Amino acid sequence: MAFVEVIRRSMRPEEWTDLRYAWVKRSLTGRQHEITDLEIRDAVQVGENEYEFLSDYRPLRKGEMYFTPDGTVFIRGKAAIPEDFRKGEIWFTLHTAAEMMVKINGRYAGGIDPNRDRILLNPWLEEGSYGFTIEIEGYNRSKPDDERNPDSMHLRGCRQIFDGAYVSVINQDLQDLYYDLTLLLDIAKSPHFDEDYRQFLNRELDQALNKIDFDTFEGAGEAVKYIEEHIYQNQDFHSSGNVALVGHSHLDIAYYWRRIHVVQKNARTILIQMRLMDQYPEFKYAHTQPYTYELLAKYYPELFAELKEKIKAGQFEPVGAMYVEPDCNVPSAESLIRQCLYGQHYYREAFGITVDNAWLPDVFGNSWILPQILKKSGVDYFVSNKMSTWNDTNRFPHNHFLWKGIDGSKVYACVPPTHFITWNMPSQIQENWDAYQDKETGGQTLSMFGYGDGGSGVTEEMLELMKRFDKLSIMPKTEHMRADEFLHRNLKDNEQLETWDGELYLEMHRGTFTTKSNLKAANRRLEFKLRNAELLWTLRMREGKDTSRDYPREELRDCYKKLLLNQFHDILPGSHINPVYQDAMRDYEELESRLDVLMEEGGERYFNTLNQKRDEVSFIPWAEGPVTRKGIRGYYANPELEALSGKALCWDGDTDTSWFHTEGLHAEKLHTEKLYVETPVYRICFHEDGSIESLFDKRLDREWTDGNFNKLHLYQDTPGMYDAWDILPNYKDVEYAFTVEEGIHLTYGDGSVAEFTASLKTPKGKSTWKMIVRLFKDSPAIEVEHRVDWDEKHKMVKAEFSCNVLSRELVCDTSAGYIRRETHKNTSWQKARFEVCHHKWCDFAEKGGGVAIINEGKYGVGVEEKGMSLSLMRSNIRPDIMSDIGHHAFCYVILPHRGDAVEAEINRKAFAYNIPLVKTEIDCPRLDFGPLYLQAAKLSENGEYVVFRLSEQDGRRGTVKLPYRGYLMNMLEDVEGEEPVESISYKPFEILTVGVPVGEYMKA
Amino acid sequence: MVHFMEDYICNNVAPRIRGDGGWVEFVSYEDGQLTLIFRGECSKCMILDRCMDWICQEVKRDLKEEIIIKPLRIKPFFWDN
Repeated sequence: MAFVEVIRRSMRPEEWTDLRYAWVKRSLTGRQHEITDLEIRDAVQVGENEYEFLSDYRPLRKGEMYFTPDGTVFIRGKAAIPEDFRKGEIWFTLHTAAEMMVKINGRYAGGIDPNRDRILLNPWLEEGSYGFTIEIEGYNRSKPDDERNPDSMHLRGCRQIFDGAYVSVINQDLQDLYYDLTLLLDIAKSPHFDEDYRQFLNRELDQALNKIDFDTFEGAGEAVKYIEEHIYQNQDFHSSGNVALVGHSHLDIAYYWRRIHVVQKNARTILIQMRLMDQYPEFKYAHTQPYTYELLAKYYPELFAELKEKIKAGQFEPVGAMYVEPDCNVPSAESLIRQCLYGQHYYREAFGITVDNAWLPDVFGNSWILPQILKKSGVDYFVSNKMSTWNDTNRFPHNHFLWKGIDGSKVYACVPPTHFITWNMPSQIQENWDAYQDKETGGQTLSMFGYGDGGSGVTEEMLELMKRFDKLSIMPKTEHMRADEFLHRNLKDNEQLETWDGELYLEMHRGTFTTKSNLKAANRRLEFKLRNAELLWTLRMREGKDTSRDYPREELRDCYKKLLLNQFHDILPGSHINPVYQDAMRDYEELESRLDVLMEEGGERYFNTLNQKRDEVSFIPWAEGPVTRKGIRGYYANPELEALSGKALCWDGDTDTSWFHTEGLHAEKLHTEKLYVETPVYRICFHEDGSIESLFDKRLDREWTDGNFNKLHLYQDTPGMYDAWDILPNYKDVEYAFTVEEGIHLTYGDGSVAEFTASLKTPKGKSTWKMIVRLFKDSPAIEVEHRVDWDEKHKMVKAEFSCNVLSRELVCDTSAGYIRRETHKNTSWQKARFEVCHHKWCDFAEKGGGVAIINEGKYGVGVEEKGMSLSLMRSNIRPDIMSDIGHHAFCYVILPHRGDAVEAEINRKAFAYNIPLVKTEIDCPRLDFGPLYLQAAKLSENGEYVVFRLSEQDGRRGTVKLPYRGYLMNMLEDVEGEEPVESISYKPFEILTVGVPVGEYMKA
Repeated sequence: MVHFMEDYICNNVAPRIRGDGGWVEFVSYEDGQLTLIFRGECSKCMILDRCMDWICQEVKRDLKEEIIIKPLRIKPFFWDN
């Protein structure tokens, strides 16, 4: 029998209520008077608050099209308030999907955007005058997909129809009713609430609305009264729970907009929140990122002065100690320290406060090194939402807990149960309570409310709803408070909290370790270049006549801040539109040049900036060199440099290649697809594609490969909507073959290096891939360079290293110590960690030895049963259709070794591989910090100390005598002890900061 | 004129569209018909007609050409349903 779908044609009672609710909403504006005296001018923003004007002012009339792609408009006009509007509240109304800052009579009166369409006029009118001027700066953002407010969906787009601007009077009774209905209908529709109560609501709301004549809207007051008496006063239904409500707006510094546009997004958001505070003095709002405050002070001093008063009054709360909300996987330890240092110093200078929380709601997982860095930067509380709401496999087991870092430091952590963007609806609050896992031990749960991503924040509606929450016995108890109040009250000294010891791995967004590989490589390079520049100037101080006055403190700080800005969690991870990528690369180029200028010096000596001996084979750039590496000519040498010392180097001109022998592919004797090479260290069998079938270590008398080794895999990579962010667990299901255009063969050899090159192509020849394998006479290191012209969509390339090693752990560098990741898939937690973030190296070893892969800017690594697979390239199309397309050149080193990673000094070798020698004639005093890595040397921010940052990276404990007497400092460069120390004790993975008074440093 | 048109789309129009997460590529220009590929956010934009009108106006102002645009929307697989 055929199935016949019965379509219900009559209206259900709930639909009748919904319909009447829509009529109420539509009729909130009692009377309105169109403003007709308006003019508009088009512009395109070309810099921070810099515009290229495309037209002069022209009249703007209702019904006309306005805004252009990526355009800004300036609207000006004047209006008069009709006589019969002049009692009570008078509003300026304009419905738009654009983002607008509005000045009335020359003063910032408020903001209009997709989430709010009116501004109260009364405070801005001149006494006795009912005429006013309007100035609007509007910026159109067609923010896609994740737009939170469904009411604005239909307005999105680059071009819009001007709906008209009005002077309006609101129907107060209807408005009260509207807020009541919004609140109660949300509950009535939410499965998070008791079904009986929802039925009760549906019944009573129908009764309330029956009081209204919908032709005249008479009876709205009676409906409000009915709701008060029959719903709010009803005590028959009860719920449990205790939810803290914190006003907040997530503001991406760049994403579907460039960072030049965040100047206005930020100002508009702050302006809107301050105007809400004027209307609702009890309203409190938390705003992150010192960078955004810097922007406001620079471009909107008038608003900044007002903001300072609101901060003093406790209404506006700066949160988040870090300069921006950075990605917390890829940046190095020193970068994360600087995020705190420059962030906290800004807060101190601007507002006289040190913020004790890290507010990172949207970051894509958090490195195990963070607790120590936060703790030593004045931060006791860590807040991040992602693990609770985005994990794709396991439910993160805590919301409130102690997070124990790699060194044993602990911070209080809050992972709120729900998203950081909510609109304060009862269903969202109830959902938050329902999902809260620490109900018995964690105190109140945290629900952030306010629109976000592109800023905007809290609305009148959210605050009006909040005023009504206490009237509803069915809702959890709620309390609006500041973020710090919530953290202190519920986490501080809470002895019942459980401890999470390990990284806060996000089971999603695993592609962000690899997407836009050029950004990652530049970030790594510049992190170390900044280290070298600061160290060099610290040493130069001793040679200068004017001591610390010579040190280019501001320039170095500015350079650092530019790097930190680009570590924002939608910039460095690669999840942004194409113009954001172009901006970031321009910033990196500019930074390279500025640092080159800072470091420029004549002379022929190469200086080892590492505080450890350097005996690894190194590439020395030299214009006449015989080898080209990543487009730069030079030669390879073993410079044998002591710690912090320099010497002249030159190519020895040795062209004797008798140290290696080849047979096979392209050799006349054997007609085979394999190439056999023997060096003093190895006997190697290459496949024609450059992968290694056999790597026999003559020193250790063992084979290192067990399967594919240095083997490129081209996988289908189709994670869907979150294209730039995600890699699916089944990415290996579909694999495409590379075509070998030219099998591996010898392309260069001299007395120290032999280069073998294979040329490959992807299917249909879309991308060319050249692999250069370099073997060295005096080193077990095998360097692999890849030169790629990449033109793919939805493909990912990995290099697999299946090792003849029995181990269940992949050891990964975190930049300040190492973390062990299980390579088996016994549990869902291990399965979910199929792709992880590492820094300079990873290592797969058994008792007698192992294989390390040392990279120069690759962060994604697959955790495999027999080792690892290094993620090399991706090619996603959202948000950037051109992501990663173009030329790439990158290298890594395969380093088989005796012992484990620590015994083999893989970390030290990885530093040597990543930190280039610096050309300088400088002499360094004896700076011996024992086994500790000199992570940074700089002049302190106050100019009084030379700061040495020392990092234990091998997991050892000990004591080291300092080269100078100095003071222990925290990472904010506050002196912590009263007496100087001559030696320091350290524990595994500890980062220590020592400040030596400039006078002592200069004398010594 | 074809090259002028291609340059104009690449250098004047495309950067503006990219600023909003969209993407436009020149395909051909023949007998007053400009064929463009729209990708990214443009590929699913419900009001792309308005943008195409704007492109027509810009072309008319700067190149003195009256054109009509034939749009080819190429949606990524995850929006193609």
